[in-house]
Amino acid sequence: MALDKRFIGREYGPYRYTIGEEKMREFTLALGGAKPGAGTPGEPPAHVSPLLYDEQAAKAGPHGGLIAFPSFAVVFAIRPFSAAIADPELNINMQMLVHGEQDLEFLDVMRPGDVMTTTGRIADLYERARMGFVVVTSESRNQHGNVVVKGTWTAIIRG
Amino acid sequence: MPRTYQPGDTFTHVRECDRYRPIYYAGASGDYNPIHIDPEAGAAAGLNGNILQGLCTLGWVVEAIAGFVEDPGRVRRVKARFSRPVRPEDTLTFQGRVTHVQDGRLTAEVTATNQRGEDVLKGAIVEASIE
Repeated sequence: MALDKRFIGREYGPYRYTIGEEKMREFTLALGGAKPGAGTPGEPPAHVSPLLYDEQAAKAGPHGGLIAFPSFAVVFAIRPFSAAIADPELNINMQMLVHGEQDLEFLDVMRPGDVMTTTGRIADLYERARMGFVVVTSESRNQHGNVVVKGTWTAIIRG
Repeated sequence: MPRTYQPGDTFTHVRECDRYRPIYYAGASGDYNPIHIDPEAGAAAGLNGNILQGLCTLGWVVEAIAGFVEDPGRVRRVKARFSRPVRPEDTLTFQGRVTHVQDGRLTAEVTATNQRGEDVLKGAIVEASIE
Protein backbone atom coordinates (compact mmCIF):
# COMPACT_ATOMS: atom_id res chain seq x y z
CA MET A 1 0.00 0.00 0.00
CA ALA A 2 1.79 3.10 -1.21
CA LEU A 3 1.01 6.18 0.86
CA ASP A 4 2.14 9.58 -0.29
CA LYS A 5 4.00 11.29 2.54
CA ARG A 6 3.23 14.74 1.15
CA PHE A 7 -0.21 14.42 2.79
CA ILE A 8 1.36 14.44 6.26
CA GLY A 9 0.14 17.60 7.97
CA ARG A 10 -3.13 17.82 6.03
CA GLU A 11 -5.83 19.21 8.34
CA TYR A 12 -9.50 18.28 8.70
CA GLY A 13 -12.26 20.24 10.43
CA PRO A 14 -13.31 22.09 12.45
CA TYR A 15 -16.38 19.91 13.04
CA ARG A 16 -19.06 20.95 15.50
CA TYR A 17 -21.14 18.50 17.54
CA THR A 18 -23.71 19.18 20.27
CA ILE A 19 -23.89 16.44 22.88
CA GLY A 20 -27.44 15.20 23.41
CA GLU A 21 -28.55 13.51 26.62
CA GLU A 22 -30.40 10.59 24.99
CA LYS A 23 -27.53 9.96 22.58
CA MET A 24 -25.15 9.81 25.56
CA ARG A 25 -27.45 7.37 27.33
CA GLU A 26 -27.86 5.20 24.22
CA PHE A 27 -24.11 4.97 23.80
CA THR A 28 -23.51 4.05 27.45
CA LEU A 29 -26.15 1.34 27.36
CA ALA A 30 -25.29 -0.10 23.93
CA LEU A 31 -21.66 -0.36 24.98
CA GLY A 32 -22.66 -1.60 28.43
CA GLY A 33 -24.58 -4.60 27.13
CA ALA A 34 -28.22 -3.47 27.25
CA LYS A 35 -30.61 -4.81 24.65
CA PRO A 36 -32.10 -1.80 22.86
CA GLY A 37 -35.59 -1.97 21.41
CA ALA A 38 -38.08 0.31 19.73
CA GLY A 39 -38.54 3.32 22.02
CA THR A 40 -35.98 2.28 24.63
CA PRO A 41 -32.20 2.03 24.91
CA GLY A 42 -32.75 -1.06 27.08
CA GLU A 43 -32.39 -1.87 30.77
CA PRO A 44 -29.04 -0.84 32.28
CA PRO A 45 -26.86 -3.82 33.23
CA ALA A 46 -25.75 -3.77 36.90
CA HIS A 47 -22.12 -2.89 36.12
CA VAL A 48 -23.02 0.39 34.36
CA SER A 49 -22.57 3.45 36.58
CA PRO A 50 -25.85 5.33 37.28
CA LEU A 51 -23.84 8.57 36.88
CA LEU A 52 -24.15 7.87 33.14
CA TYR A 53 -27.91 7.39 32.79
CA ASP A 54 -29.86 8.14 36.01
CA GLU A 55 -30.51 11.85 36.35
CA GLN A 56 -31.35 11.72 40.05
CA ALA A 57 -28.34 9.62 41.03
CA ALA A 58 -26.06 11.76 38.85
CA LYS A 59 -27.37 14.97 40.43
CA ALA A 60 -26.41 13.68 43.86
CA GLY A 61 -23.07 12.36 42.58
CA PRO A 62 -19.57 13.85 42.22
CA HIS A 63 -20.31 15.75 38.98
CA GLY A 64 -23.65 17.28 39.96
CA GLY A 65 -25.39 15.89 36.88
CA LEU A 66 -25.24 13.36 34.08
CA ILE A 67 -21.90 12.85 32.35
CA ALA A 68 -21.07 11.06 29.12
CA PHE A 69 -19.21 7.77 29.12
CA PRO A 70 -15.58 8.79 28.36
CA SER A 71 -15.30 6.97 25.05
CA PHE A 72 -18.61 8.48 23.92
CA ALA A 73 -16.14 11.05 22.59
CA VAL A 74 -15.40 8.78 19.63
CA VAL A 75 -18.86 9.61 18.24
CA PHE A 76 -17.63 13.07 17.25
CA ALA A 77 -13.85 12.99 17.75
CA ILE A 78 -13.49 10.32 15.03
CA ARG A 79 -14.56 12.76 12.34
CA PRO A 80 -11.07 13.93 11.17
CA PHE A 81 -9.92 10.29 11.09
CA SER A 82 -12.97 9.28 9.03
CA ALA A 83 -12.38 12.22 6.70
CA ALA A 84 -8.70 11.36 6.27
CA ILE A 85 -9.17 7.68 5.43
CA ALA A 86 -11.98 8.57 3.00
CA ASP A 87 -9.99 11.44 1.45
CA PRO A 88 -10.09 10.66 -2.29
CA GLU A 89 -6.56 11.97 -2.74
CA LEU A 90 -5.22 9.31 -0.34
CA ASN A 91 -6.96 6.64 -2.43
CA ILE A 92 -7.34 4.07 0.38
CA ASN A 93 -9.18 0.79 -0.22
CA MET A 94 -11.66 0.84 2.67
CA GLN A 95 -12.27 -2.91 2.35
CA MET A 96 -8.67 -3.52 3.36
CA LEU A 97 -8.65 -1.05 6.23
CA VAL A 98 -8.67 -2.03 9.89
CA HIS A 99 -8.41 0.10 13.00
CA GLY A 100 -4.94 -0.70 14.33
CA GLU A 101 -4.37 1.40 17.38
CA GLN A 102 -6.10 4.02 19.50
CA ASP A 103 -5.08 6.49 22.17
CA LEU A 104 -7.68 8.71 23.87
CA GLU A 105 -7.06 11.28 26.58
CA PHE A 106 -9.96 12.67 28.58
CA LEU A 107 -9.13 16.00 30.16
CA ASP A 108 -12.58 16.78 31.51
CA VAL A 109 -16.08 15.32 31.70
CA MET A 110 -18.67 15.90 28.96
CA ARG A 111 -22.25 16.91 29.78
CA PRO A 112 -25.54 17.12 27.87
CA GLY A 113 -25.63 20.31 25.82
CA ASP A 114 -21.86 20.68 25.54
CA VAL A 115 -20.86 21.92 22.10
CA MET A 116 -17.70 20.20 20.94
CA THR A 117 -15.44 21.43 18.16
CA THR A 118 -13.00 18.90 16.73
CA THR A 119 -10.01 19.46 14.51
CA GLY A 120 -7.44 16.93 13.35
CA ARG A 121 -4.50 16.34 11.08
CA ILE A 122 -2.59 13.53 9.44
CA ALA A 123 0.34 13.11 11.82
CA ASP A 124 2.07 10.30 9.93
CA LEU A 125 1.88 8.00 6.92
CA TYR A 126 4.25 5.06 6.63
CA GLU A 127 4.67 1.50 5.47
CA ARG A 128 5.79 -1.45 7.53
CA ALA A 129 5.76 -5.15 6.63
CA ARG A 130 3.99 -4.30 3.35
CA MET A 131 1.11 -2.67 5.23
CA GLY A 132 0.21 1.01 5.19
CA PHE A 133 -0.26 3.02 8.39
CA VAL A 134 -2.30 6.22 8.62
CA VAL A 135 -1.97 8.16 11.88
CA VAL A 136 -4.41 11.00 12.61
CA THR A 137 -4.39 13.19 15.71
CA SER A 138 -7.49 15.02 16.93
CA GLU A 139 -8.35 17.64 19.50
CA SER A 140 -11.88 18.39 20.73
CA ARG A 141 -12.73 21.55 22.65
CA ASN A 142 -15.93 22.36 24.49
CA GLN A 143 -17.90 25.62 24.30
CA HIS A 144 -15.63 27.14 26.97
CA GLY A 145 -12.61 26.64 24.72
CA ASN A 146 -11.11 23.93 26.92
CA VAL A 147 -9.54 20.87 25.31
CA VAL A 148 -11.60 17.94 26.61
CA VAL A 149 -10.50 15.05 24.38
CA LYS A 150 -7.29 14.30 22.53
CA GLY A 151 -7.04 11.33 20.20
CA THR A 152 -4.43 9.47 18.19
CA TRP A 153 -6.05 7.21 15.61
CA THR A 154 -4.11 4.63 13.61
CA ALA A 155 -5.52 2.78 10.61
CA ILE A 156 -3.77 -0.17 8.98
CA ILE A 157 -4.26 -0.94 5.31
CA ARG A 158 -3.62 -4.63 4.75
CA GLY A 159 -1.74 -5.89 1.72
CA MET B 1 -12.96 7.11 53.99
CA PRO B 2 -11.74 7.35 50.39
CA ARG B 3 -10.41 4.20 48.86
CA THR B 4 -6.65 3.99 48.42
CA TYR B 5 -4.86 2.45 45.46
CA GLN B 6 -1.43 0.85 45.27
CA PRO B 7 0.82 -0.59 42.60
CA GLY B 8 0.00 -4.27 42.23
CA ASP B 9 -3.74 -3.80 42.85
CA THR B 10 -5.80 -5.72 40.29
CA PHE B 11 -9.25 -5.55 38.71
CA THR B 12 -11.25 -7.72 36.34
CA HIS B 13 -14.11 -7.05 33.94
CA VAL B 14 -15.85 -9.65 31.75
CA ARG B 15 -17.93 -8.84 28.67
CA GLU B 16 -19.69 -10.99 26.13
CA CYS B 17 -19.91 -9.85 22.51
CA ASP B 18 -23.42 -11.16 21.87
CA ARG B 19 -24.54 -11.73 18.31
CA TYR B 20 -26.06 -8.28 17.73
CA ARG B 21 -23.60 -6.20 19.80
CA PRO B 22 -21.71 -4.94 16.71
CA ILE B 23 -25.05 -3.69 15.33
CA TYR B 24 -26.09 -2.06 18.63
CA TYR B 25 -22.66 -0.45 18.88
CA ALA B 26 -22.93 0.71 15.26
CA GLY B 27 -26.24 2.38 16.07
CA ALA B 28 -24.85 4.15 19.12
CA SER B 29 -21.46 5.13 17.69
CA GLY B 30 -22.17 5.66 14.00
CA ASP B 31 -19.55 3.11 12.91
CA TYR B 32 -21.52 1.20 10.26
CA ASN B 33 -18.50 -0.14 8.35
CA PRO B 34 -19.98 -3.27 6.68
CA ILE B 35 -17.16 -5.47 8.07
CA HIS B 36 -18.73 -4.91 11.51
CA ILE B 37 -22.40 -5.47 10.75
CA ASP B 38 -22.49 -7.81 7.75
CA PRO B 39 -20.91 -11.30 7.97
CA GLU B 40 -20.72 -11.52 4.17
CA ALA B 41 -18.89 -8.21 3.90
CA GLY B 42 -16.49 -9.37 6.63
CA ALA B 43 -15.87 -12.62 4.77
CA ALA B 44 -15.32 -10.75 1.49
CA ALA B 45 -12.66 -8.67 3.26
CA GLY B 46 -10.91 -11.87 4.36
CA LEU B 47 -12.00 -11.58 7.98
CA ASN B 48 -13.96 -14.81 8.18
CA GLY B 49 -17.23 -13.08 9.14
CA ASN B 50 -18.07 -9.80 10.81
CA ILE B 51 -15.91 -8.43 13.61
CA LEU B 52 -16.67 -6.14 16.54
CA GLN B 53 -15.63 -2.49 16.28
CA GLY B 54 -12.23 -2.08 17.96
CA LEU B 55 -13.54 1.02 19.68
CA CYS B 56 -16.23 -1.10 21.37
CA THR B 57 -13.51 -3.32 22.85
CA LEU B 58 -11.65 -0.15 23.86
CA GLY B 59 -14.85 1.12 25.52
CA TRP B 60 -14.95 -2.09 27.58
CA VAL B 61 -11.40 -1.35 28.75
CA VAL B 62 -12.70 2.06 29.88
CA GLU B 63 -15.58 0.31 31.70
CA ALA B 64 -13.02 -1.86 33.51
CA ILE B 65 -11.04 1.09 34.89
CA ALA B 66 -14.20 3.18 35.49
CA GLY B 67 -15.56 0.40 37.71
CA PHE B 68 -12.27 0.09 39.56
CA VAL B 69 -12.07 3.81 40.41
CA GLU B 70 -15.87 3.87 40.96
CA ASP B 71 -16.51 6.87 38.69
CA PRO B 72 -16.34 7.02 34.89
CA GLY B 73 -15.59 10.75 35.17
CA ARG B 74 -12.18 9.92 36.65
CA VAL B 75 -10.90 8.05 33.60
CA ARG B 76 -8.17 10.13 31.96
CA ARG B 77 -6.68 7.95 29.28
CA VAL B 78 -6.99 4.68 27.40
CA LYS B 79 -4.58 3.36 24.83
CA ALA B 80 -4.35 0.01 23.03
CA ARG B 81 -3.39 -1.83 19.87
CA PHE B 82 -6.05 -4.08 18.36
CA SER B 83 -4.12 -7.29 17.84
CA ARG B 84 -6.85 -9.84 17.06
CA PRO B 85 -10.45 -9.50 15.86
CA VAL B 86 -13.31 -9.93 18.33
CA ARG B 87 -16.24 -11.86 16.90
CA PRO B 88 -19.88 -12.30 17.83
CA GLU B 89 -20.21 -14.91 20.62
CA ASP B 90 -16.72 -14.16 21.97
CA THR B 91 -16.37 -13.54 25.70
CA LEU B 92 -13.61 -11.17 26.72
CA THR B 93 -11.87 -11.03 30.07
CA PHE B 94 -10.12 -7.77 30.93
CA GLN B 95 -7.53 -7.96 33.69
CA GLY B 96 -5.92 -4.81 34.99
CA ARG B 97 -2.91 -4.33 37.24
CA VAL B 98 -1.90 -0.97 38.71
CA THR B 99 1.67 -0.08 37.77
CA HIS B 100 2.03 3.49 39.12
CA VAL B 101 0.28 5.70 41.63
CA GLN B 102 1.58 9.25 41.64
CA ASP B 103 0.26 12.80 42.05
CA GLY B 104 -3.34 11.69 42.37
CA ARG B 105 -3.28 9.57 39.25
CA LEU B 106 -3.01 5.84 38.74
CA THR B 107 -1.77 3.98 35.70
CA ALA B 108 -2.66 0.35 35.01
CA GLU B 109 -1.81 -2.21 32.37
CA VAL B 110 -4.76 -4.15 31.00
CA THR B 111 -4.87 -7.46 29.17
CA ALA B 112 -7.89 -8.57 27.16
CA THR B 113 -8.27 -12.23 26.25
CA ASN B 114 -11.01 -14.18 24.53
CA GLN B 115 -12.49 -17.49 25.69
CA ARG B 116 -9.60 -19.35 24.02
CA GLY B 117 -7.05 -17.37 26.04
CA GLU B 118 -5.90 -15.38 23.00
CA ASP B 119 -5.00 -11.71 23.45
CA VAL B 120 -7.23 -9.34 21.49
CA LEU B 121 -5.36 -6.19 22.61
CA LYS B 122 -1.68 -5.41 22.99
CA GLY B 123 -0.01 -2.83 25.19
CA ALA B 124 -3.26 -1.57 26.70
CA ILE B 125 -2.86 1.04 29.41
CA VAL B 126 -5.36 3.17 31.30
CA GLU B 127 -4.97 6.19 33.55
CA ALA B 128 -7.41 7.58 36.09
CA SER B 129 -7.57 10.43 38.52
CA ILE B 130 -7.92 9.22 42.13
CA GLU B 131 -8.12 12.55 43.99
